[in-house]
Amino acid sequence: MSLNNILNHWSDYRKGAEEGGHHEYEHRWAMAINLDLCTGCNACSTACYAENNLAVVGKERFEKGQAMHWMRIERYWDQQELEHPEQGASFLPMMCQQCGAATCEPVCPVAATYHTPDGLNAQVYNRCIGSRYCSNNCPFRVRYFNFYSYYESAWPEPMEQQLNPDISVRDKGVMEKCTFCMQRIRSVKDTAFMEDRKVKDGEVVPACAQSCPTSAIVFGDTMDEDSMVNKLWKKHQVERGVYQKTKLAKKDADLRGYRIFEELNVDPSVMYLERVREDI
Amino acid sequence: MSGKMNRRSFLKVMGWSGAGVALTGCDMPTTVTLEEGKEDVVSYLMPEEYVIPGVGVWYASTCTQCAAGCGIHGRVREGRVLKLEGNPDTAVNNGKLCMMGQAGVQGHYNPDRITTPMMRSGGSLTPVSWGDALKTLEEKLGAVSGDRFAWFTGTISGHQSVLLTNHLDAMGSTNHYAHEVVNNAVSRAVNQDMLGEANPRLRLDKAKMIVSFGADFMGASQSPVHYAGQYAKFRTNKERGLLVQIESKMSLTGGSADLWLAIKPGTEAVLALGMANVLLNKIRVSDAGIPSDVLSLINQYDISKVVKITGVTGDRIQRVTQLLAERSPSLVLAGASVEGQAQGYATTAAIMMLNHILGNVGKTIESAGEFPFPQLMAKQGGTADLVAFVEAAKAKKLDAVIFHGSNPVYSTPKSLGLAEAMSNIGFKVAISQFPDETTMAADLVLPVDSYLEDWGTQVPADQTEARAIHVQQPLMEKLNAETKGLGDILLTLLKQRKKEEYGQFEDYYAYLRNAFAAMPTSVKNEAKNNDEFWNAALQTGVIKVDAGAKNLQSTVVSFAAPVVDDNAGLTLVPSPRLGLFDGRHANLPWLQEAPDQISKVVWDSWVEMHPDTAAKMGIGNLDLVEVNSAQGSVKLRAVLLKGMHADAVAIPLGQGHEAYGRYAKGLGVNPLQILDATTDSKTGELAMYSTRVTVKRVGAADSLSIVRMGTGAGDSQVGRKLVGTVPVEQVRRTEGT
Repeated sequence: MSLNNILNHWSDYRKGAEEGGHHEYEHRWAMAINLDLCTGCNACSTACYAENNLAVVGKERFEKGQAMHWMRIERYWDQQELEHPEQGASFLPMMCQQCGAATCEPVCPVAATYHTPDGLNAQVYNRCIGSRYCSNNCPFRVRYFNFYSYYESAWPEPMEQQLNPDISVRDKGVMEKCTFCMQRIRSVKDTAFMEDRKVKDGEVVPACAQSCPTSAIVFGDTMDEDSMVNKLWKKHQVERGVYQKTKLAKKDADLRGYRIFEELNVDPSVMYLERVREDI
Repeated sequence: MSGKMNRRSFLKVMGWSGAGVALTGCDMPTTVTLEEGKEDVVSYLMPEEYVIPGVGVWYASTCTQCAAGCGIHGRVREGRVLKLEGNPDTAVNNGKLCMMGQAGVQGHYNPDRITTPMMRSGGSLTPVSWGDALKTLEEKLGAVSGDRFAWFTGTISGHQSVLLTNHLDAMGSTNHYAHEVVNNAVSRAVNQDMLGEANPRLRLDKAKMIVSFGADFMGASQSPVHYAGQYAKFRTNKERGLLVQIESKMSLTGGSADLWLAIKPGTEAVLALGMANVLLNKIRVSDAGIPSDVLSLINQYDISKVVKITGVTGDRIQRVTQLLAERSPSLVLAGASVEGQAQGYATTAAIMMLNHILGNVGKTIESAGEFPFPQLMAKQGGTADLVAFVEAAKAKKLDAVIFHGSNPVYSTPKSLGLAEAMSNIGFKVAISQFPDETTMAADLVLPVDSYLEDWGTQVPADQTEARAIHVQQPLMEKLNAETKGLGDILLTLLKQRKKEEYGQFEDYYAYLRNAFAAMPTSVKNEAKNNDEFWNAALQTGVIKVDAGAKNLQSTVVSFAAPVVDDNAGLTLVPSPRLGLFDGRHANLPWLQEAPDQISKVVWDSWVEMHPDTAAKMGIGNLDLVEVNSAQGSVKLRAVLLKGMHADAVAIPLGQGHEAYGRYAKGLGVNPLQILDATTDSKTGELAMYSTRVTVKRVGAADSLSIVRMGTGAGDSQVGRKLVGTVPVEQVRRTEGT
């Protein structure tokens, strides 16, 4: 893939996205995460470790920022001027936002990260050469690099028996990240295909959404008009391909839906709903 | 996919037809041999029954990672359990599962499991055969006179509990000590006295407002997933529920509060009395049913006095109390940090009294009814049993003790003198999965199955709308040939004593089949025969039980006046966390690597302090400090957080293991060891939240001193909109909630 080719396709794509999509999408998987329900409990994150063969790296490597938590809970303190955080903590479940105009994609020298017809940023492990350009270019810091062959230490016998055979265990030199539980999507799509029908809303549930004790995470296909996630996006007037400088493009700027770093125009597939607090 | 042929489906079709060609070309489709008689290549062409190669099947069972008893579904593929999820058929967790439940597979596949029986000889534990182990057990227990024998467990319920009780009977003993560090024993005592039921059903989802005094109901509590589900309803009700959390150290639940109030540790009773004072004297709520001594106590605590003692401002107290009166029904909760005070019973009673005054009993606190199988109900643990056990052992009243599901050597404060007590017990048996501290101190170790390999029934103690017996079934073959199920071990012990009665059961499975067959038709739900009932129970994982309807009484008991020490200095909060819990999950690497929800530290211990408190002592963030109590000291790093009252320091539970396998051993410190042995006079429970400490700086921050996720002490959003927050009025307008 020549540089020229990349540049041509990129501008083509960007224009396309604004005009409703360059791809002929089959699905556009998306999330809506209600931050008012997120309690920061870590259930999603641990479920992700279990589902996606994420390696435990240990204290020293964690300190160097090499933890492989595809789904992590960030915790922020607001009201820093006060003696105590009187409105509690601000929790943010952060995973790959599966951007429609992903900044990680065009910088990959070998096209190991690309856009699928499902609207996902897929990572082809076999193709990845470990340049880490994608991670460097990701505004959300949600790409994780295998600096070591973690499988040598992460699953001492018999722990390796827990590994999910539906997906691989990644080796040294490869970038990885949240896939929206690609293997679950795959399996549901296959079943639907065999039964000659469309994928139903609620059929695909990623591990994080499945485990969430408060059901803060809603997952689905925004191309399915009747899907819960599509209804939520519409209700909160968050649209794909429409770049909203924060909330200016919304008719009702007070609606809670927003996408993080909207100003970067990367078209994330994850809509967050603002945390609500009652001031008493 | 609209029938379009893409690359993947093309390959798939090719794959299938390819396989067909291979099959027709082969004489013997069941076994294809590479070289005759040498190697079977495709054994799965004729798979075992119920096994479809490449397809995962979900089986129902029950989680035992804490005492909540959530229903689970385990994904089994090619004979291995891979992933656990919540069972949607259970009202406890409604298909959801917390981080500890998710990590259950890591306990099951843990590389540090005990794989053979072991016996102490010459000071160390050496492997023995089951035959020898059982022979020794029979001899030793046979030589013990009845009341000098004891069982020491965690919370235990279901048919295992029945067998355990029967074994005690057979031994002629009544000594069953149930110990849980994370417990609600004091609340149970208060509820029993005030409501007539120890475990009433809490309905957070029906409350318009919750005021929680240190109740971390979504964190390390009795049923975190259940209450998190109720919390979600509470927040999404037509009128969004309002949560006020009052505590000295911000808990996981406190992190989600609309208003988080720091309170001077040990003064919660004063605040509750002050709120009662405002309700009765300012808002003029009826004082019906409140005994006169309690009324005069309430009248002693006017706002100005309460403000002075608790450190909470008068405006806040008035406002919160006013809202409580306006938003009915509400719910007032008392948590571990309140129960675990030197006057735990009185403080909890003062707080629960608010529910009586506000008329919440019967609305957000309901009767759980009468469970028709009392023998299956949970024997819930507390720390009073631990204290009683240590005293009995110290007084040389115990000759043989069997330990299971609890780790007292780790979790008993040094001040209680457990070491001496243990040395007085002639024969200590541990039925254990891991080489934890208690197991390593035992004379005989019996390796037990993981809960994913074992049969059982669990009856959750925390009551939900639909009461049930939860069924636990093996999700796969045993990993280790030499482990045995808890039920099987209990049955073997019983056969040693009462051969004629229990000899008829070949194993625990046979016992359970028999017990299920004997259940009344009312729970069999139209099953045609016992096999059908059994299969249905295994399929859904639950046996629904009608507990009938009852009404709670709403009374107020007399309780002692609060005693507040003005010169208390710093109080230690030994805070349990969802994850490592009371230390039992320190050997699960996923949970070690999951950052603590509030401080975001991994793989370590730390002490949380308010920056102002630290500044007074010249302590900076991540400095090495020494925390001293009258009972001892621990050295660890300070993490400065504003979610602390200035008079409290918190050390999270879970680390400081001296044994317990490669992931747990040697990390951090164990704050339980330096606690005072003070107990609540009314219930005998350990006052775990009343130890006074001093802190001094002993070293500077250095690299790798402590590892945490995020940017450090500030963790500010730096003006970016990562987590947006909006006032509830705005949402009422846009979303009508």
